Amino acid sequence: MTFSPLTIALLAILVLLGIGLYGLLAVRNLIKIVIVLQILGKSALLALIAAGNASGQINLGQSLALTVIVADTVVAAIGLALAVQVRRQLGTLDARELGKLRG
Amino acid sequence: MMILYGCLTLGMVACAMLAIRSSRLVVSSLWLAALSALLAVLIYLLGAARVAVIELSVGAGLVTVLLVFAVGIAGDEAAAQKPLVPRLLSWGLGLVVLALLGWFVLPLVAAPSPASQPSLASLLWEGRALDVLIQVVLIFCGVLGVLGLLASAVPVEAAKREQALPALEDGPESGPIAEQGRMQP
Amino acid sequence: MAGYLALAVIFVPWLGALAVWWAGDERRLAQHALAMVFALVTAVLSLLLLPLVSADTVLTLPAGRYFGDFTFVLDGLGVFLAIIAAGIGALAVIFSVDYMEGEAQLGRYYSLILLFIGAMIGLVLTDSLLLLFFFWEITAFCSYALISFHNDDPKAVSGGIRALIVTQVGGAGLLAGALAIYGLFGSFQIGQFLAQARVLPPEALRLMAFGFLIAAAAKSAQVPFHTWLPDAMEAPTPVTALIHAATMVNAGVYLLARFYPAFAPVPGWKLAVVVVGVVSAVLAAVMAAVTTDIKRVLAYSTISQLGYMVYAIGAGGVFASQFHLMSHAVFKALLFLGAGAVIHALGTRDLRQMGGLGRKMPFVRVVFVIGGLALAGLPILNGFWSKELVLETGLSGGPLWAYALMLFCAGLTALYTFRLVWLVFYGPRQGDQAVHDAPLAMRVSLTVLALGTLTTWLVAGPFGAMLKRSLPFHTLDVVSTGQLVLTILTSWSTWLALSVVALGLGAWWGRGRLIAVVVRLRFLARAAAADFGFAWLNAAIVRAVRSVSEGLSVAQTGQLNWNVLGIAGGLAIVLALLLWGG
Repeated sequence: MTFSPLTIALLAILVLLGIGLYGLLAVRNLIKIVIVLQILGKSALLALIAAGNASGQINLGQSLALTVIVADTVVAAIGLALAVQVRRQLGTLDARELGKLRG
Repeated sequence: MMILYGCLTLGMVACAMLAIRSSRLVVSSLWLAALSALLAVLIYLLGAARVAVIELSVGAGLVTVLLVFAVGIAGDEAAAQKPLVPRLLSWGLGLVVLALLGWFVLPLVAAPSPASQPSLASLLWEGRALDVLIQVVLIFCGVLGVLGLLASAVPVEAAKREQALPALEDGPESGPIAEQGRMQP
Repeated sequence: MAGYLALAVIFVPWLGALAVWWAGDERRLAQHALAMVFALVTAVLSLLLLPLVSADTVLTLPAGRYFGDFTFVLDGLGVFLAIIAAGIGALAVIFSVDYMEGEAQLGRYYSLILLFIGAMIGLVLTDSLLLLFFFWEITAFCSYALISFHNDDPKAVSGGIRALIVTQVGGAGLLAGALAIYGLFGSFQIGQFLAQARVLPPEALRLMAFGFLIAAAAKSAQVPFHTWLPDAMEAPTPVTALIHAATMVNAGVYLLARFYPAFAPVPGWKLAVVVVGVVSAVLAAVMAAVTTDIKRVLAYSTISQLGYMVYAIGAGGVFASQFHLMSHAVFKALLFLGAGAVIHALGTRDLRQMGGLGRKMPFVRVVFVIGGLALAGLPILNGFWSKELVLETGLSGGPLWAYALMLFCAGLTALYTFRLVWLVFYGPRQGDQAVHDAPLAMRVSLTVLALGTLTTWLVAGPFGAMLKRSLPFHTLDVVSTGQLVLTILTSWSTWLALSVVALGLGAWWGRGRLIAVVVRLRFLARAAAADFGFAWLNAAIVRAVRSVSEGLSVAQTGQLNWNVLGIAGGLAIVLALLLWGG
């Protein structure tokens, strides 16, 4: 296995993915969940760019990465708007308490 | 070169962990901004200059502003609660998935071989025109969604206040909750 | 062109389902009209398939590497069942115009019926086992939804759920067999499987053969999976006539017929099929003779006649079973629709409140008697020819004890049929409701079906020839209609069977004199009324399924963190499996 800068990038992707997964398992605050989703999105972004670099088609990788950035940002915006509304209507941002809501 | 990459990676990992573990949401947002900045540098080093700039401005700029804005409205008390899933389990699972993925993916990496390719602009507008169109639609929907979500705040609150008022005048027999109770057969 | 026609026959009724739903429940006339138009168009299109019958694949839709190709073949077996489904479907819809007069939620009713018709046609026309399973499940869902159509009646709802759970056991058997085939061959194509079945390891073939037998037994309401059919009688009667007499219950027999060349060499399979058929036929005939609900009699009769078809397949007579299927679909639909006319007029299904209706409902009496004579197997009517063919095939291809039992069952069939006809239309009038004869739309359907009962046997020769030339893997011995008539009339077994039928008729006529025998057999009647213990078995299965599903609902916590744990855990397991599998 050739130890190149690309390998380090790949390690970065994997670690960010692992941290994001841990975050989804451990975090209960809605806004923090949005932050964790951002981290996961960044790992995907890095994966696309690294793939573009590895295959020599960096511009293809960039165009795909643009889509990911746009999608991530829109998700963050809507997620935050939702969190704000939830806080206003229901008074809590805790995922566990929200899970106990009925009707 | 490798050292630079190594430092960037370590920095990103540290920022991500601190973003998750810190107890105040504003501080988390700032660590996320730092993560975006480091990521932008790494992306630039990998050869994608334009996307690096965009990531810097959007990730470190726009998203951070959004987060701070939301935290300002919603309040900053991310209390250190006990997570539902036992900490050991979440750490363990994260590491296991990491290891398995790494086992699959790492041997696949080869040295980069640059080839001639079309410019980004032509690629975007001709090759991936559908993508661009969908992104525009997505942004449009996102704006509508945010407007819709944030706009309904005031009328709902006013309506709730109005509904609560009869309960004060007529007593516990009327009002929305009593209505609901009556409707159940 | 043939491919597009095949697709059209499946999608036209589905379009109709959408159209009826979209018309809305306020425009009842539009809903009746739309349903009738779409059902009739489907019937016409299915008839247009006849000249296109061949053994070739007419349409191939590639669906990716893991689903194989979705192929459609217009062979004789499929086209004939498609015509039955579309034709009887159209007649049931026409009947519903009067039967469902004044009922609410017509949109749901017609949409489900049209959805069912399309799915049934798709089931028989496809050559891909995956697509067959897909359509199989759609028909099971429509059957459940239509049985519980009156969803404010707890009996209907529980009947629907019981039917769903028991037939899903069959669906599981089918899926297991299909996946086994895919695992061994890498493709879902039935034609390919039939051509190469010999090269399979015998244990795998045996697993598939018995898996399919379970699936067919559950779908065709054979013992031990038969109790869902009498409980399904809560459905509106046109639904019963279409789904539970003429089409869906035939899907199991179709499955056995289609896969017969591959499974026939499996040791013990043919005997198992014969046993299932004979036991179902005899048990159901006994139960039909003691029950007091008009639709339940017909339901047990359906189980019994399906037993005949299954028995024929087990004895090697695929053509005989399909011929009997054709006759049975027509006369059983006729009997059910006639019963529907009676139920609609009286408002009750209880035989003890009927009697003497022949005077007030002469038209219904005539058609019902025609259907009854066909069921009992009297000459000239289509039931006679097909039942005699089944018995002859069984005599030459199956064990002798099975033939004897089926002969005895023919007598029982005559007994309960005459009992039914007598209790409804003759004899003293028991109840006191006002009675009217069948209205126009009902008469149309009943007339068409009665004419069919008198004539469908005439197409036996061309039907056999069509089957023979389009099913390359089956060995069928088919003859022209004239030869068939001659063979049956000159065979001693025919006269033996006719005398048994006469005995059955005589037993009912002289039941006063036979009262001593009846008293001694009373224990049998009590056991039959309790479904011979099978009802308890099926209730136990339903209880088990309910408790398991309630226990599993603990895993649906609704908490984000637990759900992500599930996702991550699943990912880890999949990756580990891939790693281990290499």
